[in-house]
Amino acid sequence: MAQEMAMLHDISRCSGCRACMVACKQWHDLPADMSTPFEGQYQSHADLTPTTYNLIKFNETTDEQGKFRWDIIKYQCMHCGDPACRNGCPENAISKLDSGAVVINEDQCVGCGYCAKNCPYGIPKIDGIAHKSRKCDLCFDRIQEGMVPACAKTCTADAISFGPKAEMEKLAKERLEVVKQSFPNAQLYGVGDNKVGGNHMMYVLTDKPEKFGLPADPATPKSIDMWKDVARPIGQVATFGAVAGIVGMAAIAQFRKSRMDKKHDEKKEG
Amino acid sequence: MAKLKYLPRHKKGFIICHWLNGISFLMLFLTALPLYIPSFGDFYRAVGPHNLQLLHRFFACVFIATPFVGLFIAREGYKRLFSEALHFTKDDIEFQKKFPAELVGGEPDLPPQGFYNGGEKMNILLQMGLWCVLVASGLVLWLGTSLPQSLQAWAIPIHAIAGGCGFAAALGHIYLALGVNPESFQGMKDGTVLTDYAVHHHGKWVDELVAEGKVSRKDIE
Ligand code: HEM
Ligand code: SF4
Ligand code: SF4
Ligand code: SF4
Repeated sequence: MAQEMAMLHDISRCSGCRACMVACKQWHDLPADMSTPFEGQYQSHADLTPTTYNLIKFNETTDEQGKFRWDIIKYQCMHCGDPACRNGCPENAISKLDSGAVVINEDQCVGCGYCAKNCPYGIPKIDGIAHKSRKCDLCFDRIQEGMVPACAKTCTADAISFGPKAEMEKLAKERLEVVKQSFPNAQLYGVGDNKVGGNHMMYVLTDKPEKFGLPADPATPKSIDMWKDVARPIGQVATFGAVAGIVGMAAIAQFRKSRMDKKHDEKKEG
Repeated sequence: MAKLKYLPRHKKGFIICHWLNGISFLMLFLTALPLYIPSFGDFYRAVGPHNLQLLHRFFACVFIATPFVGLFIAREGYKRLFSEALHFTKDDIEFQKKFPAELVGGEPDLPPQGFYNGGEKMNILLQMGLWCVLVASGLVLWLGTSLPQSLQAWAIPIHAIAGGCGFAAALGHIYLALGVNPESFQGMKDGTVLTDYAVHHHGKWVDELVAEGKVSRKDIE
């Protein structure tokens, strides 16, 4: 069994250079993407897109002293332990690998978009031309070859670390102590257990998750169990049950009719 | 044998709406089947998932538009549908209790029924409710990408449950029409029904027709 791995983004170290965005595109052979308009900000794209799996967000904010600053964050799939995208995929196109990577199998995907609707972080994006769902795959193919994901490998500021999960958790806690000295609201995100089964993408944040556009308390939606355990079985029972019921009723009716006709005939003859 | 062999029952506009509704419903179910029943996944891939997704949306438009089309071409029929379905009588309840025997070829002693019988009223109410649920949840799935994530997630099971119940009810409806009371089917073809059938199955409606002077007792007995 492969080792469980994790990635850690230390916000306080990130300079927003976007080298990781470029590296991601290069490794996955993704074209440049002009699909979201320029809005006069530093951020390159408004959101992730089917050809942008990794986005450096520049959240504009002012601190307690009224001083302007950017809260920069690397945004991509969080590689949940109990991934909503996988659980709710009707085609079983998404799998969770031993390394922790959550990966879409393109051949199985039918582009229905259920993964995008179920993901608590809004990560998967549907390619409108290929009709396939796309997102960061943690460079699982690189991991398999003993390499580090392209984004982590290229990071110019040592803000992205990658390694065995336990090591990354330890590093996160150490970094938090340091970062807290300059950012009193600093906290960890995605480290340890949570309602998505823990994450294999973890953060040292300089402020509350909301400041970075992250959900404060993400959870794998209960509606997926409802769909898998109730909606589909009920629907299937209702569908096949109705068919079987009708065939059965018709058979009984036919049987009774033929018996009555027989009686009729007997009477006539007798 | 009655002198007047057939009684007029449905107008043309209403018949058109019935078939628009029925066909779009069936096509909606079929085009979504692969998502619903995993073993149909290969069918999905053979036809091309995106084609089915587009067709699902096309028939959704027909399904949504039908009652609005009815507002123009079948106002009377829809009015009757609503007012009848919302008025349950004692006889309707008795009908519902006794009718199931007829499903398996029995001939229970049923109370006289109006334009729609107790069972049809139940089906109409169910279909109206499901229409609302399917359209609301379907629109969330289709166009609701900027709505809160949990609402989008909930739309999936809600839509699926409503689709399954609707299909079961539709099969029951078809069985009753074709298997149990084939005489009624003509009402959705040329709009008339056999007078004998009407007297037996919709006694109160025939009484209404007589009271309104649309037919005379003599003609139907
Ligand atoms: C008679 C009406 C309808 C039936 C029987 C029906 C049935 C279904 C079923 C069974 C599914 C798959 C559920 C699952 O995931 O398990 C589905 C998916 C879906 N339905 Fe419907 N539906 C109906 C009406 C509508 C309407 C009115 C809309 C839109 C306004 C709509 C939009 C969708 C969408 C967007 C999906 C997601 C799958 C896809 O993209 O094809 N449906 N439907
Ligand atoms: S963040 Fe979203 S897309 Fe990524 S594993 Fe979790 S549920 Fe799936
Ligand atoms: S879009 Fe593809 S990966 Fe996402 S739920 Fe549908 S089939 Fe699964
Ligand atoms: S892990 Fe790979 S796919 Fe994911 S953001 Fe980094 S480079 Fe892109």
